[in-house]
Amino acid sequence: MIEARSISVAIGGKRIVSHVDFAARPGEVTAIVGPNGSGKTTLLKALTGELPYSGTVALNGRDLSAMKPVEAATLRAVLPQSTTLSFPFTVREIVRLGLIGGRSGVLPGEDARLPERALARVDLDGFAGRFYQELSGGEQQRVQLARVLCQVWAPVLEGRPRYLFLDEPVSSLDVKHQLIIMNIARDFARRGGGVVAILHDLNLTAMYADRIFVLHVGQLAAAGSPTDVLNDELIEKVFDCRLKVGALPAASVPFVLPQSAA
Amino acid sequence: MAEQSIAGAAGMTMAADGDRSARARIVILLLSVALALSIFLSLTSGASDASAVRVIRDWLTGAVPADAALAARDQLIVYDIRMPRVLLGVLIGAALAVSGAVMQGLFRNPLADPGLIGVSAGSSLGAVAIIVLGTTWLAPVTLALGTFALPLAAFFGGLSVTLLLYAIATRQGRTSVATMLLAGLAIAALAMALTGILIFMADDRQLRDLTFWQLGSLAGATWPKIGTVGPVIVLALAAMPFLSRGLNALALGEATAGHLGIPVQQLKYTAIVGVSAAVGASVAVSGGIGFIGIVVPHLLRIAIGPDNRYLLPASALLGASLLLLADAVARTIVAPAELPIGIVTAVAGAPFFLWILLRKRGVVDL
Repeated sequence: MIEARSISVAIGGKRIVSHVDFAARPGEVTAIVGPNGSGKTTLLKALTGELPYSGTVALNGRDLSAMKPVEAATLRAVLPQSTTLSFPFTVREIVRLGLIGGRSGVLPGEDARLPERALARVDLDGFAGRFYQELSGGEQQRVQLARVLCQVWAPVLEGRPRYLFLDEPVSSLDVKHQLIIMNIARDFARRGGGVVAILHDLNLTAMYADRIFVLHVGQLAAAGSPTDVLNDELIEKVFDCRLKVGALPAASVPFVLPQSAA
Repeated sequence: MAEQSIAGAAGMTMAADGDRSARARIVILLLSVALALSIFLSLTSGASDASAVRVIRDWLTGAVPADAALAARDQLIVYDIRMPRVLLGVLIGAALAVSGAVMQGLFRNPLADPGLIGVSAGSSLGAVAIIVLGTTWLAPVTLALGTFALPLAAFFGGLSVTLLLYAIATRQGRTSVATMLLAGLAIAALAMALTGILIFMADDRQLRDLTFWQLGSLAGATWPKIGTVGPVIVLALAAMPFLSRGLNALALGEATAGHLGIPVQQLKYTAIVGVSAAVGASVAVSGGIGFIGIVVPHLLRIAIGPDNRYLLPASALLGASLLLLADAVARTIVAPAELPIGIVTAVAGAPFFLWILLRKRGVVDL
């Protein structure tokens, strides 16, 4: 269980997130949605201890601020929005970095093969020998996800659930890979881990999220299941956009929803 | 797997799975051999015809030489002139190359180098202050610290510059390269100006010491000097391998390194103190020897990749070999006179640095 109470974050004297209560349960995918600049990434950075915050964050009942980096690394892995490198690492070398501090949870002898298995999960079979800097943005993002997966390969370690924090994990991916990545997240949750993901695509959110936290100008606008949260009033209020939930376009306009995936 | 190791051993292609550790081990082995050869070459060559081989053979077998006077002279040349010089070359070459590699990992940039961004200038200022003011204003310091005053002053000079640079160039975990290089230039200029004031105050004897020392040379190598700076450099170098995993993680950014379980602040401070100690000690005995710290890690990253677990030891080996070779050039190219080694490394290193810049243009975000 991730439990955060009254999280506030100020950057450069400006309050970006104020008094947000947040919770993410193991076994569930928890989505954070909201318009640009609503404080989603800042909230995630507070929850992962990357930014100083006021309030409390507890991971499995333990105070995050009292944990050593390596203890936190054993409990959760974090995928940033994008990662640039200044040195010519190969894809395998990058993915292997996931094994550096925490514990993957597989048998010690199997760690060596984990990078290949993680790359296969994110549909990057055969990419291990390529240079990271030569890949496309979407491929780089999946390499980073493979690294993050290596860090917490087993969703449950010694009876304790572990967590994935994903900051816009599908933002630069094509639709096929969006589904692959979201299925990985859901699978991680089904096997007992917890997932916290910042998402922009409301359809994808409705399809995969068990709970949604909606942020609006740094405050919590709503929290609950997709059916509770995604309604016309909330979307108009938060996204400043008059949209109708569940309305079909005119018959002549094609539309494609992720839910239709076979 | 066996096939991949053979491919790696042949050193022709990267193993298909992107694992360069087998190749890195081979390269480290080859570099060890190269260093052994460089040491042998440096011990056996020189302005005099003294035979290091004979001296060492006599020493090993306990044989009594036929010509005692000649043997004593040779022994003096080999033991008291060449050996300390070679040992100092090895220590300083390794210290400069590893410091460069660590600093590049810390700043996440392949162009960071202690010489380039003012760390050496800070060390020089500290050292010059002791040379010039050691008998007057700073007399209590030199009295209290004895022969350690000079290396310690160089260390704190370098440390101050590195900390200042880091504070200036890093905002919210991102180190701006442009800020770092420009701030480094400014700090180096300031340190050199202060050094200039000290030189202006120096008397004739101090001036001779300073000029020789500033150009960079291994010629002043003696056993007592090695006894003073050797332990500092060895300690700093011994601490560096413990940083390699953390520096690898740091390549992904400070925040991500923290998420991976690396104690980032501790890593940064250890690296900064280690680099300042190694560079400070090197500058204290041999003056400013540039470009080793940037050329060596860069060449090795092309050969074995940026994994610091292999890059740091390989840098130590190649840095030591290259500095011994540069010293051999410095000793022989204008024999019987001697060129300061800093000139040799700059003549070879500066064009190389420009080549990196041109090759990287568009890749590195300056």
